[in-house]
Amino acid sequence: MRFHKLFKPLAIALVAIGTGGNALAQDGRPDLTIAVDNLWPTMDPVIGISTTGQRVHFNVFDTLVRRNRWEDPNGNSLVPWLAESWTRKSEFVWEFKLREGVKFHDGHVMDAEDVAFSLSAERLWGEKPIARRGTRYARGITRVEATGPLTLEVETSFPDPNMPYRMVTPIGFVLPKHYYEEVGTDAFGQMPMGTGAYKITEFDPSVGLKAVAFDDWWGGDVPAKSLHFQIVPEFSTRFAGLMSGEFDVVVNVPSDQVAQLKTKSGVKVMEKGIENYPMFAFNMLETELLPDNPLTDVNLRKAMVHAVDRVSITKAIWGDATFVPTPFNFPEYGEFYDADRERKIKYDPDMAAAMLKKSDYSGEELIWHITRGFYPNYEIAAELMVEQWADAGINVKIELKDNFSLAYQRPFHLLNMSMSSEFSGDPYRPLWMDWGPLSSRVRAKHSTWKMTPDFEKLGEAFELAQDFDSRKQAYLDLVAEWEDVTPGMYLWRNVVSYVVDEELDWDPGNSAVTVFDNLYMK
Amino acid sequence: MLTYVLSKLMRAAVTMLITVSLVFTFIRFSGDPAAALAPPDAPQEVIDQYAEQMGLDKPFWVQYSGYIGGLMVGEFGYSVHTGRAVEELFLERLPYTLQLGGCAFLIALLFGIPLGSLAAVNRASKLDRLVMGFSVFAFAMPNFLFGLIIILTSALWFQIYLGGEGANVLFPALTLGLASMGGFARFTRSSLLEIINAPFMRAAEARGIPFMRRLIRHAAPNAAIPLVTLVGLSIGGLIAGSVVTEQVFAWPGVGQLLIRSVATRDLAMVQFLVLAVAFTMVLANLLVDTLYLLIDPRIRVR
Repeated sequence: MRFHKLFKPLAIALVAIGTGGNALAQDGRPDLTIAVDNLWPTMDPVIGISTTGQRVHFNVFDTLVRRNRWEDPNGNSLVPWLAESWTRKSEFVWEFKLREGVKFHDGHVMDAEDVAFSLSAERLWGEKPIARRGTRYARGITRVEATGPLTLEVETSFPDPNMPYRMVTPIGFVLPKHYYEEVGTDAFGQMPMGTGAYKITEFDPSVGLKAVAFDDWWGGDVPAKSLHFQIVPEFSTRFAGLMSGEFDVVVNVPSDQVAQLKTKSGVKVMEKGIENYPMFAFNMLETELLPDNPLTDVNLRKAMVHAVDRVSITKAIWGDATFVPTPFNFPEYGEFYDADRERKIKYDPDMAAAMLKKSDYSGEELIWHITRGFYPNYEIAAELMVEQWADAGINVKIELKDNFSLAYQRPFHLLNMSMSSEFSGDPYRPLWMDWGPLSSRVRAKHSTWKMTPDFEKLGEAFELAQDFDSRKQAYLDLVAEWEDVTPGMYLWRNVVSYVVDEELDWDPGNSAVTVFDNLYMK
Repeated sequence: MLTYVLSKLMRAAVTMLITVSLVFTFIRFSGDPAAALAPPDAPQEVIDQYAEQMGLDKPFWVQYSGYIGGLMVGEFGYSVHTGRAVEELFLERLPYTLQLGGCAFLIALLFGIPLGSLAAVNRASKLDRLVMGFSVFAFAMPNFLFGLIIILTSALWFQIYLGGEGANVLFPALTLGLASMGGFARFTRSSLLEIINAPFMRAAEARGIPFMRRLIRHAAPNAAIPLVTLVGLSIGGLIAGSVVTEQVFAWPGVGQLLIRSVATRDLAMVQFLVLAVAFTMVLANLLVDTLYLLIDPRIRVR
């Protein structure tokens, strides 16, 4: 193109070009630039629990235990990491033996005191913990004690067969006690230090984060010389940076751009199903602002689920990138996952009509609160579902809200939400923790249901079950009761998409977390 | 004249007080900031602890009086995420926005006014129509669209990335300044045309004063009065106007800080930034009012 040739030298002269994205460093390793939409303003790995924080955390910190996503994208097996081994000393006490010779980025050698500090009451589970975003992972912990230079005990108030699984979550990250106490919580969040493959050199929440390879990393060779997470809020700008060679990885590709990007040469698109499932909750409560709530009738709730063709809607919106899950039956649940178990309530207009007839519903308007733009494609699906409900004779009105706190304000009949399946050894998190007696579904100001006596009884049995067989049976019983009550409806498994320089040999597994160590990057 | 200045200062102070009160109130009534800060589906205890940390558990009037009292002694609050003073975070980002806004303003001024003058003195010519056509385009073109076009064009055609902290300010400044440039050109033209046809201009011509001297010494000061208002508004909108451009070009200025603070529910930061935007607007208005004193002798006499 002549225009191109004519103006290129002029354009180059006009533009101050930054450092090249995938430039090979002198030692042969690349300097990687990752264009991100945002970074969480603090990098403390618990205070900053969020997708925008975790894309950095796993490069800088190590957890005690790690999930193996490099061989199995769903990460169904655990790998000893900073903890070399663990044993259950009694019903309530677990002992962790730590790896020897692990160094923090300042050369300080990690020991059990650092781990005890990282898991301490002061940080996680005391009355007013510093890192309160982590309290849900630390539930029931009553004692954390360094019993030797490299041994640690964790005690819980209830028998917990899955304690090692908790150590893959953000509370499992080990922080340097000496440095944290020296600089304080806020300063630590701005210039944190861990034992991970990369050492942070610069962090400005408005601009980005730079880290260099930590060549004393206990885990072996570090594949990139440096990482630069550059904040570029607008996707088109991120894409422009990738096409001009400035970036190596671009995160958060809008789903409507994926098909077009797949046709571009020089880049590859990766669509990954992640452990989060958008859904909605039926508000089953009668409150002052909603005295005659028709959704207290289970027949109406079931009619609404039968009336929606989720499989076709999901296919139309996402193609083959995702699927409609059977409640609480997720591929990331290892032996608890049963590929043959199907949903009880499927798309069936005749059944929807029959159920509706059995209910007392007489066309009242049902209000659906949706947080604008929070879950990709949710609003589009919602509009299709409202049409299908209208065809079935059910009158639903969508009300978009700008944030969750507005969405939580009553009155509403349906409330958008998502369930993270977070691997904790079994389906405890989405099933019992998110719908049980301590859950926001039951206790928060925006609660949507009261547990049935059967659900409560089965849940307690599930919580007390210790061996796999009894726990799996308790889980199946609890799921059956949940489906029978139908307090909500799953839509699909969430999807994140990346565009990557095609020469980069990197795969994050089924995760929104970007890790650039020698297991995920060659 | 003293009464004039004092009344303007008083008006500015009242405007700021009203703005502070509205911002403080609306932020609290647009959803519970503590619930918005906690992760979705966080336990109620966690939400309550956030509320306590941010002082949101206290009655509204206690919160309000505490906030106003803090402002009086220069305490604007702390970012809930970083623990740093909000003014410190603002001042770190301000140079970027001033650089961007300043360059955009200069581009608008240096091109807009001469183009408008050119169109006025060549009224009804092809040049006039060309300049006005360009002005309408510049004024009507949404800046995010213009920014995206030049960013994508340069990347796909020339493999050059125009965004980010280290990028040349020229392109984001051009994007930001384009609409103002169009506005200045149109305003200058209409203002000059009105003056050029005034009786005192014809008298000057009859006295044999050369064209350029008539234009610069006689027409320009009179045409400047309405233009000063427009220029003042542009300066006032420097911070607020840069939000979209900063977002498109990943320019790490105050606009991006505002968007991120809203997204992460950083209450003190959002309050401070809205106040800063209001303050620049009020200050610009004060400057414009003062400039009127210098330009228009009639006001000095009042």
